[in-house]
Amino acid sequence: MSTVSLGKGGAAAAAHGEVLVSARGLEVHFPVRSGGPLRRTTGVLRAVDGVDLDVYRGETLGLVGESGCGKSTLGNALLRLVPPTGGTVTFDGIDVTALGRKQLRELRRRAGMVFQDPFASLDPRRTVAQTVSEPLEVHGLHPGRQARAARVQELLQLVGLDPAVATRYPHEFSGGQRQRVGIARALAGEPDFLVCDEAIASLDVSIQAQVLNLLRRLQRQLGLTLLFISHDLSAVRHIADRIAVMYLGRVVEVGPAAAVAAGPQMPYTRALLSAVPVPHPELERSRQRIVLRGDVPSPSRVPSGCRFRTRCPDVFEPCPDVDPALQPVGSAPGHVAACHLHGVVGEPVRREQPDSPVDAGDPAARPVA
Amino acid sequence: MTATAAGEPLLEVEDLRVRLRTPRGPASVVNGLSYSVRRGETVAVVGESGSGKSVSVLALLGLLPARVATVTGAARLDGEDLLGMSPERLRQVRGPGVGMVFQDPMTSLNPVLTIGRQLVEGIRAHGEVSKAEARERAAGLLTEVGLPDPERALDRYPHELSGGMRQRVVIAIALSNSPSLLIADEATTALDVTVQAQILDLVEKLRTDHGTGVIWITHDLGVVAGIADRVLVMYGGRCVEDGTVDDVLERPAHPYTRGLLGALPDLATADEGELATIPGTPPAPTDLPTGCVFWPRCPVRGDARCETEQPPLQVVGAGVTKGLPHRAATWCGEGGAR
Repeated sequence: MSTVSLGKGGAAAAAHGEVLVSARGLEVHFPVRSGGPLRRTTGVLRAVDGVDLDVYRGETLGLVGESGCGKSTLGNALLRLVPPTGGTVTFDGIDVTALGRKQLRELRRRAGMVFQDPFASLDPRRTVAQTVSEPLEVHGLHPGRQARAARVQELLQLVGLDPAVATRYPHEFSGGQRQRVGIARALAGEPDFLVCDEAIASLDVSIQAQVLNLLRRLQRQLGLTLLFISHDLSAVRHIADRIAVMYLGRVVEVGPAAAVAAGPQMPYTRALLSAVPVPHPELERSRQRIVLRGDVPSPSRVPSGCRFRTRCPDVFEPCPDVDPALQPVGSAPGHVAACHLHGVVGEPVRREQPDSPVDAGDPAARPVA
Repeated sequence: MTATAAGEPLLEVEDLRVRLRTPRGPASVVNGLSYSVRRGETVAVVGESGSGKSVSVLALLGLLPARVATVTGAARLDGEDLLGMSPERLRQVRGPGVGMVFQDPMTSLNPVLTIGRQLVEGIRAHGEVSKAEARERAAGLLTEVGLPDPERALDRYPHELSGGMRQRVVIAIALSNSPSLLIADEATTALDVTVQAQILDLVEKLRTDHGTGVIWITHDLGVVAGIADRVLVMYGGRCVEDGTVDDVLERPAHPYTRGLLGALPDLATADEGELATIPGTPPAPTDLPTGCVFWPRCPVRGDARCETEQPPLQVVGAGVTKGLPHRAATWCGEGGAR
């Protein structure tokens, strides 16, 4: 949870401008309860476990990681859709975790969300116009029915839909069109910040491209700040200015998209990128994939020290003993990674805690001398 | 990888057509599909949702309910006609002949039975094997698919395993009777890329070790590039392009294939420009356009026949590579530049 390295983030901040959303030591822990009538708390699931992350105004930050790494929970926590159990989140300098009801409503206007499943996130009994104008009513924007209707038309046009569809219901639309409706709704409050959580995952390839292009156009046109959460590294590489990689509740590498994609500095990022298949047969056949051993550990049993050490091909002595902090790596400014290969930086693991889950029995965990 | 041209045909499909009765009227889901799979060969079937790629294999195995589906055409597995087979014979053929892996391992495994029980059931259904023997073989299969601690895994329930582990179990079940043909329908789509890489390696090993023929249904052209010998691109229930993986992905001839490849953000080339898009949406099988199935979305349509006549699959480009013709169903021919 040390934020040592981010002191150097000053250079990056200068290059990127002003920080809009910032997390420091952010934690979202869920209690794990036993079955049975007592439902005793038997453990802690560390969905987000000490995340330091800045999102700069006007950028698209891609957040990647495997299922269960906590990327969605992190997105939710930044918007206070789940309450953080530790650390801080600031939005435009305001502490999000301490907001009262009224201020929270203002945050809801300024920070929106586009969800994964356009089939589940739209109310089947509301017309497109009702869905899109709801935020306008809630926030008292464009008062008056006519003004609201005009704004809805404008929003639909903005996302590439025919304004005539306003009276139709979600079931009349294809997946791609529904996702456009979802985006129109998210844009209704004129937000500064949009979290897109797997926004293209359930769409067909040809439709994904349409939505990716739309998001990019909107981002430039409206000066939006986007957090694009996805497991699809190719899509993230395409749309994002910077990429953040998450593993087991922690951001383990952040940097300019080109630098992270072309020169990953953390073994996990390397493995992740090497596993992404590309549509070029010759290249694909000759490529050496880094196949990781085993499965991601459970977030309720996080390995001590570096949490990737149980699967890391490059594990060595300090990995179980020092929890690595993000440190500057590579040649690109603002490229940071939490890995001891770049120098042992971080907090030593406190061993006296009997409940700290050090899985000594795991053969993969043994340091390679 | 492609020492397959010599392989004998394992599965031959000719003019397969599937019509389904739906609440919205009859749907022509598969409209005249012909292809073959040889031993040790991987054929990838690519297409978007609704293109008929899954239905076409379900139809082959008699897995579509007869009340709603009309299947015509011919399909031979090892020379034996599949479509005219009695349900009993089909059951016998499916286990040792064909193994299937579906997208979601949680729905293809029974949640209330242990992994071991499900594997043993499959093994014993197709051979005179004692329980103990079957269990031993089950453990062997789990080792083969790379499940750690297979003996213990046998006594576990599906919910105790991760998604990647479950999919390995499903593959183990599909392989339990050493089928000559493995059909994988979006088998890695729900998995993370790192797990996908493990599964793809596994399938590749099976193919080289056992000469299993593989039909890999997917929408992921990256996966196709890595594992396929041959590709079949489906659109609107038809094959619109087929050929070797290099021909189809590197020298696509059909405007749809070109569109799909252009729409793909590419990690290898890292082009940051706008993605090419295919306007509109795929046609509903209840309402297919007349003429070429792709013409309403086609960027290069120009031939008078586009709107009236379905183009046949014709040899294009360099023609035949490694004994396989590169064919595309388009009127636009070579003129339809990228």
